[in-house]
Amino acid sequence: MDALITAAGRALSAGDPLGALNRVALRDDAPALALRGIAMAQLGDFTRARLLLQRASRAFGAREETARARCIVAEAEIALASRDLGWPTKRLDSARATLEAHGDLTNAAHARSLVARRLLLLGRLGQAEHALAQLEPSALPPALGAVHALTVAGIALRRLHTETARAALERAERSARLAGVPALLAEVESACLALNAPAARLVSHGQEHLLQLHEVEALLQSKALVIDACRHAVRDGDAVVSLATRPVLFALARLLGEAWPADVSRDALIARAFRTRFADDSHRIRLRVELGRLRAALAPLAGVRATPRGYLLEPGAASEVAVLARPIEGKHGEVLALLSDGEPWSSSALAMALGASQRNTQRALEALADAGKVQSFGRGRARRWIAPSVPGFTTTLLLPGPLPGA
Amino acid sequence: MNRSAAELLEEFGPFPGMDSVHGVTYDGRHVWLATGDRLNAIDPDTGEPQRSIETAADAGTAFDGRHLFQVAEDRILKIEPASGHILSTIPAPPGGNSGLAWAEGSLWLGQYRDRKIHQIDPDSGAILRTIESNRFVTGVTWVDGELWHGTWEEDGSDLRRIDPDSGEVLQQLEMPQGMGVSGLESDGAERFFCGGGASGKLRVVRRPR
Repeated sequence: MDALITAAGRALSAGDPLGALNRVALRDDAPALALRGIAMAQLGDFTRARLLLQRASRAFGAREETARARCIVAEAEIALASRDLGWPTKRLDSARATLEAHGDLTNAAHARSLVARRLLLLGRLGQAEHALAQLEPSALPPALGAVHALTVAGIALRRLHTETARAALERAERSARLAGVPALLAEVESACLALNAPAARLVSHGQEHLLQLHEVEALLQSKALVIDACRHAVRDGDAVVSLATRPVLFALARLLGEAWPADVSRDALIARAFRTRFADDSHRIRLRVELGRLRAALAPLAGVRATPRGYLLEPGAASEVAVLARPIEGKHGEVLALLSDGEPWSSSALAMALGASQRNTQRALEALADAGKVQSFGRGRARRWIAPSVPGFTTTLLLPGPLPGA
Repeated sequence: MNRSAAELLEEFGPFPGMDSVHGVTYDGRHVWLATGDRLNAIDPDTGEPQRSIETAADAGTAFDGRHLFQVAEDRILKIEPASGHILSTIPAPPGGNSGLAWAEGSLWLGQYRDRKIHQIDPDSGAILRTIESNRFVTGVTWVDGELWHGTWEEDGSDLRRIDPDSGEVLQQLEMPQGMGVSGLESDGAERFFCGGGASGKLRVVRRPR
């Protein structure tokens, strides 16, 4: 209904933000501000994008409720892309309700998928699934269909349902090709890399090799007793003993698991679990106490037997023992895992996603920064953290939809 | 002012491959719909698509008896309907150009948010005069010396006849709620053809006599 806005919208949905900017760069009316905001977001300038969308939202008239709602959805997407997870979700909910009431089902669906993606980032998988269940994938336009499938894949990956994830990624790729948006294809590609890249290290019978996710899934479903150093737990099928809050017990379990079916000497256990090179009587007594605790904790799954020189792990029903370790070990792996999405995170968003305190998250970030594994930019509340070793990928910003009647 | 509900005669579409209707015109036989990257000829009696011309078609469309005029980005294209060739282009006035009509040797161009209709020289693109409306202007058409334009703000849309000199609203046909008018053309007699924006529809409204 407005030639330049229509043309700019066409350029944006084809993934050509510069083409869109060319057409509306000099205009300051509400739809032009909104389109400029989305174009800047696609170009990665989230701060400018947010300001432009807020100006657009104010510039739309009181009667232009749907246009305002679309601006709010776009702002929420920018918040998600810039990992501003504390963004007020109530505003997004009411914008979605407005869009539904006015028949703009595409943007309403977009709002729902943003909710699901935020919950996925926060690791609230059940709630994310619930949000996705409100959407009918076959009714979505290709770009939104790709985002939907990517979110399904993300949830499945976190649940270690690799077949489901693979199928969802194939759907995502088909939809992304249909949509013709390069940034979406790049996102599918990097999700595929995550599916196929080494996810963990298996230590068994004194040997180790790298495992892909589907091999991890198979291992967890097998009859092996798994000492899971990724999540600090011991598993046998569905039975899980978490030792996440008991690091010394876990260290002992891991040492016994790595040596199995052989035993481990008392001195080796003391040296590595207590981190001391000198073993005296008090250490031996402490070892006996800790092993008693470990025996009690592992009782449903395995036994721990004393041998002449040390201790031996005795799996119960399981016929195998395997230690599952992170592919690259080091502290604060969970922080690095979140940062591996290549996006700049605030420490408060990281703390939210980790379920950790601000202070602990801050400490972890500082330690990682000292080790050169993460970098930060900005000051105070605007400070953001990135993991520079990971190639960045774009969170796709979709066109918040046709402007009224356009 | 005479205000009444628009009487809907027919509704066609949405048509395959046409997401949004941005402009509408009538060449005596076919209704032409501008749908972003194409102009599509539709039979107004059956609603059947006939043929199409590949061209940027972002907003209003008009017909001068021989040629089609099409607003594309910041220009107005003059197109030969038989071949689809672009014969010439003129610059469109800056701003949010929407509807287009032909009458009395001039082009009439609606500007959506500016609530204006410009009379422009079809050879140079120069603005000859400007009529102000008080609503967002979408389609524009002339019939029997009457100037009509469509309006569309949020859920509200209507067709209104205005005094071409003063801009005063003389008659108003209100569209049902949620039914927008993105392009407007008359068949010179009883019918108005209205583009339905993102609904992708073509609607026929009775012109009151």
